[in-house]
Amino acid sequence: MTKTVDLAVIGGGIHGASIALFAARGGMNVTLIDRDALARGASGTNAGTLTMQMTRAALIPYALKAHEMWVRAPEWLGHDVGVKACDGLSLAFTEAEETLLAERAEARRAAGAPIRLVTPEEARAIEPSVSTQIRMASHCTIDGFANAYLTGVAFRRALISEGVELQEYTSVDAVEPAARGYSVHTKAGVINARQIVLAGGVWLEPMLRWLSVHVPIRTLVNQLAVTERMPPVMRTVVGIASGLLSLKQYPHGTVVIGGGWQGIGDRTRNTHSVVHDSLIGNVRLAVHAIPGLAASRIVRSWTGFEAETADALPAVGAVPGHEGAWVCGSVHSGYTSGPYIARCLSQAILGEEPEMPLFPIDRLLPAVVSNPLK
Amino acid sequence: MHDLVVIGAGPAGGNAALSAAQAGLDVLVIDEASQPGGQVWRAPSLGVTLAADPDLTRGQAMRMALGNAKIPIKTGFSVWSVAPISDGFEIALASEGGPEMVKARRLLVATGAQERVVPFPGWTLPGVFGLAAATLMLKTENMLPGKRIVIAGQGPLLLAVAAKALKLGKVPIAVVDYNGLGAWLRSVAGFARHLPSFGQGLTWQAKLALGRVPIRRRSEITQAFADNNGLLAEIEIAPLGRGRKQRLRVDTAFIGNGLVPGDEILRLLGVKRVPDPMTGWRIAADAHGRCGPSGLYVAGDAGRIRGALPAAAQGRRVGQVIARDAGITTSFDAVDEAPEFERFADASCRLMQVDDARISTLPDEVILCRCEDVTVGMVRQAIAEGAQDANQLKHFTRLGMGPCQARMCGANAAALLRSHAKVQPGAEYLTPRSPIRPVDITHMAGQFDYADIPVPKPAPL
Ligand SMILES: Cc1cc2nc3c(=O)[nH]c(=O)nc-3n(C[C@H](O)[C@@H](O)[C@H](O)COP(=O)(O)OP(=O)(O)OC[C@H]3O[C@@H](n4cnc5c(N)ncnc54)[C@H](O)[C@@H]3O)c2cc1C
Ligand SMILES: Cc1cc2nc3c(=O)[nH]c(=O)nc-3n(C[C@H](O)[C@H](O)[C@H](O)COP(=O)(O)OP(=O)(O)OC[C@H]3O[C@@H](n4cnc5c(N)ncnc54)[C@H](O)[C@@H]3O)c2cc1C
Repeated sequence: MTKTVDLAVIGGGIHGASIALFAARGGMNVTLIDRDALARGASGTNAGTLTMQMTRAALIPYALKAHEMWVRAPEWLGHDVGVKACDGLSLAFTEAEETLLAERAEARRAAGAPIRLVTPEEARAIEPSVSTQIRMASHCTIDGFANAYLTGVAFRRALISEGVELQEYTSVDAVEPAARGYSVHTKAGVINARQIVLAGGVWLEPMLRWLSVHVPIRTLVNQLAVTERMPPVMRTVVGIASGLLSLKQYPHGTVVIGGGWQGIGDRTRNTHSVVHDSLIGNVRLAVHAIPGLAASRIVRSWTGFEAETADALPAVGAVPGHEGAWVCGSVHSGYTSGPYIARCLSQAILGEEPEMPLFPIDRLLPAVVSNPLK
Repeated sequence: MHDLVVIGAGPAGGNAALSAAQAGLDVLVIDEASQPGGQVWRAPSLGVTLAADPDLTRGQAMRMALGNAKIPIKTGFSVWSVAPISDGFEIALASEGGPEMVKARRLLVATGAQERVVPFPGWTLPGVFGLAAATLMLKTENMLPGKRIVIAGQGPLLLAVAAKALKLGKVPIAVVDYNGLGAWLRSVAGFARHLPSFGQGLTWQAKLALGRVPIRRRSEITQAFADNNGLLAEIEIAPLGRGRKQRLRVDTAFIGNGLVPGDEILRLLGVKRVPDPMTGWRIAADAHGRCGPSGLYVAGDAGRIRGALPAAAQGRRVGQVIARDAGITTSFDAVDEAPEFERFADASCRLMQVDDARISTLPDEVILCRCEDVTVGMVRQAIAEGAQDANQLKHFTRLGMGPCQARMCGANAAALLRSHAKVQPGAEYLTPRSPIRPVDITHMAGQFDYADIPVPKPAPL
């Protein structure tokens, strides 16, 4: 006879893995299922920037809480993901960018992020290697980065020591409502769970369809590149007003270049690849912002899928009409906010009041058109 | 937009370009070397004269033919990436002049082979070189570094380098051959299928005998030691299995354990590797060099290690196949791959075989990934903690994150995964990533105006 678990989490990215961990700590018997290895999707391949300056204003309160969690990861996660807190600068090179920067800095400041506008001289005092061509910058004292590729290793250790059952390389094909909860169908068999969480990143759309819930999720194909190890060239997180650049140097010397330039990909086939012109554009922005990068070489570029709902706000909460089914994902700059968003949802799953409001998906459902003839 | 772009102007690519152009296709050839020729038919550097040898002669003939056919060749350009586009392929180049994109309806990848090394403690010391690097120095500069040299490993390059070292007046302290004379003799049966190569094999052996070079057969280097300056000073050699170990003072070692396909571009385009009993893997392609994605072809060692002459023959044939697929010609007159080549190639490859057990029994302290200093022990630890595929090994240990992107250690890491983990077929290799070789940021960026960077629409606030 198949046993019944308290909670089956489908998708082992930052959201699913964090929820599994918190639910297990809350006393639940948890299985975490991923069709790949743990955190091999966006959550293990993202740029690891823990920044307020790319976070949507509405998410700043969550991101601030999450930043604090990341800095203290060794305490609650028990393992290191290479988190480094530092200053962050967002740059403006043109008049239009100055306007954009001022507007965005103000909105984020109003939401609670410690951001202020600074002159080029002040910016250079914070980041001596920044380009002399900047006209203005916004400075945030709460910024930093993690080594995202360590996410899977760190969570694996934490989850195993909390007794979570990990089922990797196990694709879920369907979930069905059952007598008490849900049956989760995988190639390896059926798992019965009292509650389930859908945490499939860009695959939330097909996952929700298992329960006949239709929420369109857009798939962004973000591109990144990394340099070879080089001597110290920068000490902060650097971006630009539009948000299309993110740069930071890791302690071992490599510089990761990102910012959301788009590659190409196909969610259904789970394939994505780099677009040359996007890579060149991104590298040009990078070397324009930090001219010292010219001394280095690009050794690798890669891509990953990021999810976006119609209003670009998260899909986090109960699945309408399906008690005990939850959804978590589609969070902009989702790596930054992930652990805190997951904590809030796991509180709801454990029957507690979430610390901060969730983002229920009812708003994203197609409006029900009632038949006027009836 | 070209009808056909050929990457690699070795025996395979050069001959493919010739037969495709002859059939009427508009062909562009790209090679990172300064002249066509590839590894075996490589042209000497300007001002260096080499004694006549068959490879040099064949190379000169191909260079001449390419010149006469007026096929445009971009030499000195390294392809760093290829991406599919709606009507073909976009091939990315970069140089001091900045980035450059070349477009082609059809693409032939003829990028040749890469060397494989079975590591031992100390293999990364300065003073240790690859056998392939040695052939490169011999062919371009007619020199080899070092005074007290040892040549070790396996495969045809081992004796080729040893014989050429002798010719330069450098008597190796020892040649350490993983294979026994028996393996060579068995292979000679294959070599005999192709007389010129058979002759060459015999000449190498004879030369070494006459030069009184001590050949340790069925032996390997088990350790290398540094002097106070961190340079190679001594090696330990031992017979396979049990037997007396011996130490030799050397300043230079040339090591290599055969070749694997240089298939990064094909893999970037989604082509899979399939297991090959002799050289670990080959590229999935049909008998005419067609790979999965339409318009993509492979010829020569890039797809399967076969050696120079089979590569040339295959190149000629694939060039015609491409012309036929393009609808330019219906004729098909190139001879099929000659069976004597097949036997000869099998014989050579048998000498390069590296069983997984040789890697899975390496001591923990041996460095596997030299770019990131990842040891065999660290990989075993990662596997014990649950890593079950190559991408996970990368995340657990940084293996393959350095400049060579596991070109050097990929085959060995795969052997460890197959031996110690429950790896799914195909998942023992890293997902390929561009650039396939590191690219200078100044080359990738080139000259540009900030205003011209096509910055996409900002993300919502
Ligand atoms: C270093 C080395 C030395 C060798 N020496 C010998 C030898 O002495 N004797 C012997 O019998 N066999 C030798 N081999 C084996 C060799 O592979 C032959 O079997 C033969 O050269 C294969 O022919 P090919 O046309 O397939 O490839 P190759 O002759 O290797 O030609 C491939 C060509 O592609 C070019 N190329 C590769 N990647 C790129 C890129 N990204 N961008 C642009 N150009 C690119 C290279 O510059 C090269 O000219 C050697 C192999 C290696 C790797
Ligand atoms: C290249 C890139 C760079 C980024 N940079 C940053 C950054 O610097 N800072 C930041 O804050 N955010 C960044 N992001 C965004 C961030 O990475 C994501 O928002 C976040 O990781 C999403 O986490 P997730 O758990 O929702 O989804 P994912 O990490 O995508 O996890 C979803 C999981 O579900 C699994 N799955 C899917 N279908 C099934 C199925 N049928 N059965 C079983 N399992 C299934 C997948 O295998 C996957 O592991 C970046 C994103 C990308 C792609």
